[in-house]
Amino acid sequence: MTIAQAALTGALIGGLYALMATGLSVTWGVLRVINLAHFAMILLGAYLTYQLATSTGLDPILTVLITGPVLFVVGAAVQWAYDRLHVAEFTSLLVSFGLLIIAIQAVTLIWSADFLRMPGDINPYATESWTVGRFVFPVTTVLAFGLALVLVAALHLVLRRTFAGRGMRAIAQDRAVAAAFGVDHQRLSLVLGGVAGASAAAAGMVFALTNALSPTAAYEWFGIVFAVVILGGIGQVVGTFAAGVAVGVVSAVVSAAWSPATAPIVLFSAIVLALVLRPQGLFTLRSVVGAGR
Amino acid sequence: MRRYGGFGLAFLILAAIGLWGRDAGVPGFVVPLGITALFWIAQATSWNLLSGFSGYFSFGQAAYVGTGAYAVAVLTGRHGVSLVWSVPAGAALSGLLALAIGAVAFRLRSLRGEIFALLTLAVPFILAAVASINRTIDGGQGTTIPLPSVPGWIDGFPQLLFVLDAAVAIGALAVAAAVQHGRLGWGLTAIRDAEDVAEGIGVGTLAYKMWAILLSGLIGGLSGALYALQIGFVTVEGVFGLTIPLLVIVMSVLGGRTHWLGPAIGALLIVTLQDRLAASGYTDWNPIVLGAVLAVLVVVAPDGLYGRMRARPWAVIGALVVPIVAGYYIPYGDLQNWVLAGMLLAALVAVVPARWLPARLLRPPRPEPVPAVDRPAPPEPGPPGETVVECRSVARYYGGVHALEDVSLTVAGGELVGLVGPNGSGKTTLVNLLSGTVRPSRGAIAVAGQDTARLAPHRIAHAGVARTYQIPRPFDSMTVRDNVAMAGMFGRRRLPLAQARAEAGAHLETVSLDRLAGAYPGSLNLHQRQLLEMARAVASEPRVLLLDEAMAGLNPAEIDEAVEVIRRISAAGVTIVLVEHLLRVLNQLATRLVVLDRGRVLADGEPQAVLADPAVVRAYLGRQTRV
Amino acid sequence: MSESLLEVRGLDVHYGDAQALWSVDLTVGPGETVAVVGPNGAGKSTLVNAIAGLQPTTAGEILVAGTDVSRLVPHRVCASGVAIVPEGRRVFAQMTVADNLALGAYRPAARREHRATLARVQALFPRLAERAGQLAGSLSGGEQQMVAIGRALMARPTLLLLDEPSLGLAPVVVDEVYAAIAAIAESGVSVLVVEQDVPRALAVSQRAYLLSEGRVATTGTPAELTDSAEVRRTVLGL
Repeated sequence: MTIAQAALTGALIGGLYALMATGLSVTWGVLRVINLAHFAMILLGAYLTYQLATSTGLDPILTVLITGPVLFVVGAAVQWAYDRLHVAEFTSLLVSFGLLIIAIQAVTLIWSADFLRMPGDINPYATESWTVGRFVFPVTTVLAFGLALVLVAALHLVLRRTFAGRGMRAIAQDRAVAAAFGVDHQRLSLVLGGVAGASAAAAGMVFALTNALSPTAAYEWFGIVFAVVILGGIGQVVGTFAAGVAVGVVSAVVSAAWSPATAPIVLFSAIVLALVLRPQGLFTLRSVVGAGR
Repeated sequence: MRRYGGFGLAFLILAAIGLWGRDAGVPGFVVPLGITALFWIAQATSWNLLSGFSGYFSFGQAAYVGTGAYAVAVLTGRHGVSLVWSVPAGAALSGLLALAIGAVAFRLRSLRGEIFALLTLAVPFILAAVASINRTIDGGQGTTIPLPSVPGWIDGFPQLLFVLDAAVAIGALAVAAAVQHGRLGWGLTAIRDAEDVAEGIGVGTLAYKMWAILLSGLIGGLSGALYALQIGFVTVEGVFGLTIPLLVIVMSVLGGRTHWLGPAIGALLIVTLQDRLAASGYTDWNPIVLGAVLAVLVVVAPDGLYGRMRARPWAVIGALVVPIVAGYYIPYGDLQNWVLAGMLLAALVAVVPARWLPARLLRPPRPEPVPAVDRPAPPEPGPPGETVVECRSVARYYGGVHALEDVSLTVAGGELVGLVGPNGSGKTTLVNLLSGTVRPSRGAIAVAGQDTARLAPHRIAHAGVARTYQIPRPFDSMTVRDNVAMAGMFGRRRLPLAQARAEAGAHLETVSLDRLAGAYPGSLNLHQRQLLEMARAVASEPRVLLLDEAMAGLNPAEIDEAVEVIRRISAAGVTIVLVEHLLRVLNQLATRLVVLDRGRVLADGEPQAVLADPAVVRAYLGRQTRV
Repeated sequence: MSESLLEVRGLDVHYGDAQALWSVDLTVGPGETVAVVGPNGAGKSTLVNAIAGLQPTTAGEILVAGTDVSRLVPHRVCASGVAIVPEGRRVFAQMTVADNLALGAYRPAARREHRATLARVQALFPRLAERAGQLAGSLSGGEQQMVAIGRALMARPTLLLLDEPSLGLAPVVVDEVYAAIAAIAESGVSVLVVEQDVPRALAVSQRAYLLSEGRVATTGTPAELTDSAEVRRTVLGL
């Protein structure tokens, strides 16, 4: 595979990374909750896609019409629980870790620890691709990129242009004053939790299209997703997308040029460097550092 | 050294059980279960040294285990180096790794809390990847460790490993106990409660955190090296996996993070629980139980079991021992089940409300012995007239806001300077600059001749600056006396704990808080907490004391009391800068008034003259007033 | 007076076990401008925050147009027509000026007309139109104060609360701020101003209260309070 092709495929896969990371990044930035259970929702999304497609013969891409709403409710419910129990910041990391462990084990019990892959007759997308000139565009990666683009554009518009979006950004900075102007933080957090859940469903669906599923896949996503969230700037939607693409390109190019196993090293060294040199994220457009008391 | 004899004794008992237990009739499960339990005791204690004591949660414990294990795997497994070298090498490498992590993570003030946790999470991933690719380390295939030869008088390899693990575990506990009761432990506790306040009273926070992470790495790596022997076949997933950090966190949160024994209690309970789940075929439920324990515990009982057990020791011991003894004599089921039952019962007894238990079993906690009050040596006030504080054209900006602009000020020894001005005039900013909490954007600051603009806050404290906070910030997990003692221990005079505690009593008398010496800050009202702030600030015998609106929110009687206290402190020769807006207080105390207005010095001189200055009156009452 | 827009009756506020307000009574009539003055620590901010829903109360009532807002969840208080300009501005530093202003109109009744309101606010503070795309945290103190007042106006309040609007500002800027307050009062909005700068507050109000150590010490017209020895003693400590 040429480097150029690797970069292209990597950029497209970056869409999947962005799709996984955006929900986590937004709930972290706006609600100050680090929800590791987000990975559980992606995992569930993937397994539900598999189950629905293989049991009912439904086109795997269409299963997201079912899994999306289901995980929207799950995401909102988890966020509601965090609010009721006053779980935030650091505690949320621990509690959600516990939930993640439980979810992974539940998945193992229901679907077994064996690798599961949708057969070709149910999932024709895994091998399809479009060729334009010298470049090959695998269909699943294009789908991932497209969905991510849609999600990011929608969230960006909502956060920037709508009242609800402004309300969300306001509660991240000064919840009390925002409330004085009528912003109901609990309702917004339910919506945001739900949106994160739905995006997890989409990410899981895309993952199931190209990969064999195993319960421990959730752990493997940790590294990439946190890299994308931190490099993109916590809570920065467009930054997260850019970071996802960048991570995808770098991983793919490094894998092609050296070996697949080198990619994690490069990636994590990049996170460390990013945290040290530019803690607000590589792709954050602007932030006011040191303003106010 | 006397108190550590107990650890030596514990080790000898364990060694005896390991080596000769079989002959003495000790049940067969003790050694294998013990090896696992001792490994986890060491790991959880290692984790707690940094994360429990200082509050910097690490998710990277697996990095130490993996480093230690791979050192043994590569050196002994692949190259036949004797264990006598490879095991310590594993510990040393792990310690170096810990220092490297600390050097990166602790230098940046932004790397607190969650970011630190995620950074440490990344480290095992990186190491695992390195080990997988690199053929000389692992190459993805795993490494077998050959069983070492065992001297003839030992029954078998497991017995030897048991003794080695016991040595490491007991050693870890001893180190944790020594840290907790020593200066390092106090410093870490202060860091956990309020890191910038700790820095402000003289705790060298960076150095202390580095020590903690180094010890954590050394112990984790040493125990990890022995783990390689325990599992026999070292793979990347086995030693760098996420189960390790998960388990140590659950164990420490369960047992209690503030005491050296907490993680061990948690480890024993979880190991026994896991063992029984496996034995009864419920292995699949294991992660679910652990996940549930973690999620529930963090919300319901964040402080863990140890503290509660300590409050009712006899009830807990009874609950533990009775089922075990019963199980020994009643031939029903495995003895391990009885042991687990005893542990669970003990845990339950520890957390239930007191009224459910018979009163006889509840022994009230032993009151802390009250040390003799020691009159501290009077401080050297320095020749009056000597310049103690000097600011030259100091400025501080926050984004577009000019909090301070071109402020020049000198304070001489023995003065009591009142710093006044309307809200937002920059008084607290100036105090923050003098104490080093914040750096000046421009200008120079010198305390007792030393240029402090670029010094770390704890060094400024050592130069003789002490301050109080407008909103009191005590160390919540320490008693009132210990809060004050901290300033003596870490301040300019660097007293040993016992002496600092004794002198703390005297300082508490000065502020009339001596009868509350054994109470915790949480039970104090606002006035008392402000007095505590003052006592703590005075205890380090500073050259200059900065009091930041020490009377905010007090009623008139309390204000009069506070004024008396400040008078006494000033009479002892301490130079004081008093930030206040209550003019009647300043009238009674100040020898000089400096008025700030919108970030600049408006007036500086004798109180009567300053207060009569029309410009000052205008700044307070506005331009339309007739004076 | 059931005519009052705002009526505070017997208000108690505690911070933990420390009592900050003792049985405070206060009224503001429709279209009236009322000042609350007093030294620091007297409880002025506590009072204003309680009215806006930012501070929980222990006892007493806060009636805005007849509705007791002290029992409401914070985000429902503004529906009664209350808007606050908090002490220290508290603008949303990481959001633009335009977004800050828009957030002011969050409540449904204000949202419907936010464009018209924005035009009026920009007419009052032309600089806000110039700096619409700038992050609020990068503005000077005076400009942030304008953003905060503009934000409150966007809520189309019937009662505007201002907590120490002159805090840390240059006199020239304070002049501008108070000119704006006078203009706002003229448009029929009731105003409650809490201030350390006594003459400024008295110059713009019809009635005033002196708050000291959590209690109402005295009340009267601006003229009465300006000449009052008690005011000088309480505020200046002389």
